[in-house]
Amino acid sequence: MDIFLRVIAIFIEVVILAAIIYVLLAGVRLILFDLGLGAKYQRVVAMALILASCMAVFFFIAHLTAFYPLIGG
Amino acid sequence: MESLRELFWAGQEAYITEVFMPIIIGVAIFFPVLIALFLLGFGRRYRLWKVGQTDNRSDNWFNRLMTTLAVGIANIRIMRVRELYPGLMHTFIFAGTALLVVGKIMRLFSFGGITIPPQSVYLIASLIAEIGAVLIFIGGAMAIYRRYIKKPARLDTVPEDTLVFVWAFILVLTGFMIKGYRIASSDVIPTDWAMWSPVGYLFSKAFPTFLTEIKNEILIWHRVLFHTIPAFVFLGYIWVNRSRLQHVLLSPLNVFFRSLKPKGALTPIDLEAVENFGVSEIQHFTWKQLLDLDACTRCGRCQDACPAYFSGKALNPKKVIQDLKAHLYQVYPVPLVARPIEDRPDMATEVITEEVIWDCTTCRACQQACPIYIEHIDKIVDMRRSLTMERSQMPDSAQQALQCLGAREHPWRGTTATRTEWTEGLEIKMLSDDSNVDILYWVGCTAALEERNMKVSAATARILQAAGINFGILGVEESCCGDPARRMGDEYLFQTLCQKNIEILKSYNVKKIVTTCPHCFNTLKYEYPQFGGDFEVIHHTQFLIDLIREGKIKIGSLDGNRVVAYHDSCYLGRYNDIYQQPRDILGVIGGLSRVELTRSFSNSFCCGGGGGHMWMEEEPEKRLNVKRTEQFIEAKAELIATACPYCLAMFEDGLKTKGVEETVSARDLSELLLQAMVTKEPEKKKAEKSED
Repeated sequence: MDIFLRVIAIFIEVVILAAIIYVLLAGVRLILFDLGLGAKYQRVVAMALILASCMAVFFFIAHLTAFYPLIGG
Repeated sequence: MESLRELFWAGQEAYITEVFMPIIIGVAIFFPVLIALFLLGFGRRYRLWKVGQTDNRSDNWFNRLMTTLAVGIANIRIMRVRELYPGLMHTFIFAGTALLVVGKIMRLFSFGGITIPPQSVYLIASLIAEIGAVLIFIGGAMAIYRRYIKKPARLDTVPEDTLVFVWAFILVLTGFMIKGYRIASSDVIPTDWAMWSPVGYLFSKAFPTFLTEIKNEILIWHRVLFHTIPAFVFLGYIWVNRSRLQHVLLSPLNVFFRSLKPKGALTPIDLEAVENFGVSEIQHFTWKQLLDLDACTRCGRCQDACPAYFSGKALNPKKVIQDLKAHLYQVYPVPLVARPIEDRPDMATEVITEEVIWDCTTCRACQQACPIYIEHIDKIVDMRRSLTMERSQMPDSAQQALQCLGAREHPWRGTTATRTEWTEGLEIKMLSDDSNVDILYWVGCTAALEERNMKVSAATARILQAAGINFGILGVEESCCGDPARRMGDEYLFQTLCQKNIEILKSYNVKKIVTTCPHCFNTLKYEYPQFGGDFEVIHHTQFLIDLIREGKIKIGSLDGNRVVAYHDSCYLGRYNDIYQQPRDILGVIGGLSRVELTRSFSNSFCCGGGGGHMWMEEEPEKRLNVKRTEQFIEAKAELIATACPYCLAMFEDGLKTKGVEETVSARDLSELLLQAMVTKEPEKKKAEKSED
């Protein structure tokens, strides 16, 4: 039961972290273009940021799975 | 480094060097970056506004500051009865953010080891911040319901809007998570935590913690990082980006630099000095007009208020502002190198179409609705000026009206009436015969030349005579005041008419003018002073109610009991804030039961005659007067009371179109007043006795 709860807790954490990464990188993307990065780089930037997001999310999953506190003690 | 200790909470001790030092380093790096982003973003905008023409808005700073605080802090133009839901929503988000910031600042300055404040400061700061965050949640939830479920037509949603919602939600959520973890990992649990940090306390119940203190501190450190970094990027995004969040900065600026000139006064053109007549390119607008474009939050209140949009016309004031804004950034892309004119779309025909420019009745409903004082009408009239004076591009009917104004000094082409026809049998003094009068009755073209309105001028004159007022008229010497010419963009013709009228008025030493037409009233009162014509100008509703109060005319009752609805003329109400006097006049006339339309007072619906539309052809199914007449019929009004000759003519037409002229009639207040005067009981009895 505790392991099941831990998995749910990690899942919720990953969702929240993924949302954080999304808003963070989306904001970076908007700022980059607003500061003058040409429209022709849109696709490249989007791909780079998606890649960074995926790597971050994988890292969080691994990290949380390894270090997340045990439920109940 | 020596570990400073801060009381995280009552009983809990955390090592500041281990938990907070990375954040302090983060802030030390990010904060200058944030300042740099702000300066970069604001500097770019400032340069963009400076592309526009000069406009002095630096007067009366105290007044400007007070209004900015009233709008910015008290939300006075946002919280309105008819905008209760969005008003409350905005106020929750605004107040929540303000409280959150106050809470955070209190914590910042009550930093352990620096100020050593009493413990209660932490507690109060915590509670304030939590109340703020809860208000943001409530306001945000209301906003999400409205934007994504209710979906009012006036709102358009772009991906950035959704991002902002997710972002704000994440920031508040992670803030609560930090608090929750800190409480959960605390060694001692004071009993009043739930009181000072109710939401954080609830969160603390949801999170598992480590058994060792150092691991818990690292966990909290992670949480703080995931809260702080997006927060900094969020702030950077607000400062730099062109999203609606810019309104945090730009709305107060726009309110501060709002126009303080009379609402009804258009800016004159120095015809001998200017290179451009009106606005045909984006840089011809003033800097404030360009700031308007940046400041617009796309709230859509102007769109909801616009009668032209409501009746299905092409004009949408929100879209006008947004299209001009997009054009501004198209012409001056980053880094502000102007695109050559040949590469730009034509602003006055392609970006904003001619149809849109000519659809506006200058009713001011959009500006009245705008919470941040965006000035739509000046921009539209400026573009009309270019179309009219530089290109002669205008609807045929507008052109004919202007030609008639130029040739005959009135816009009623085809009329055979003279300006004195309505005076027959009334023995009214002409100033050319005797200028020794107390008051000049400025009749106006419509009241003098339009058949239905001649009865209004006659009624007004008869009331003035009954009250013993020494008044006269200019008769054939009166020319159009110039309002239609100015609103149709022909500034040259307006100035010609204006200067001629001023000359005549001064030659007769006129001091006080009474007029039945709100358009003449507005022009004489607020636009003639621009050319040296300073007169005391009074609308007949103001004058008549004074006569009644002074007992100079006795009012009786109309026959029967009729339901009357008063129509607030745009140029009397919204432009000149005369709402009560006409209603007071109706109040003293017996035999009337007054009803208010849903759209009345400052939210009144234009009759469709302003801005030169009195003389312009309209598509039958999009006529504003018919839409307004339908509102009277829905309100079950038997009598439409007006105080404007345009409105009266428009409603007469609307009633005929709807086929209800037998059951519903339109009357000017002076006609109703005269009717109530002549039918008052003593006279009736006298007449009956004499018949006997």
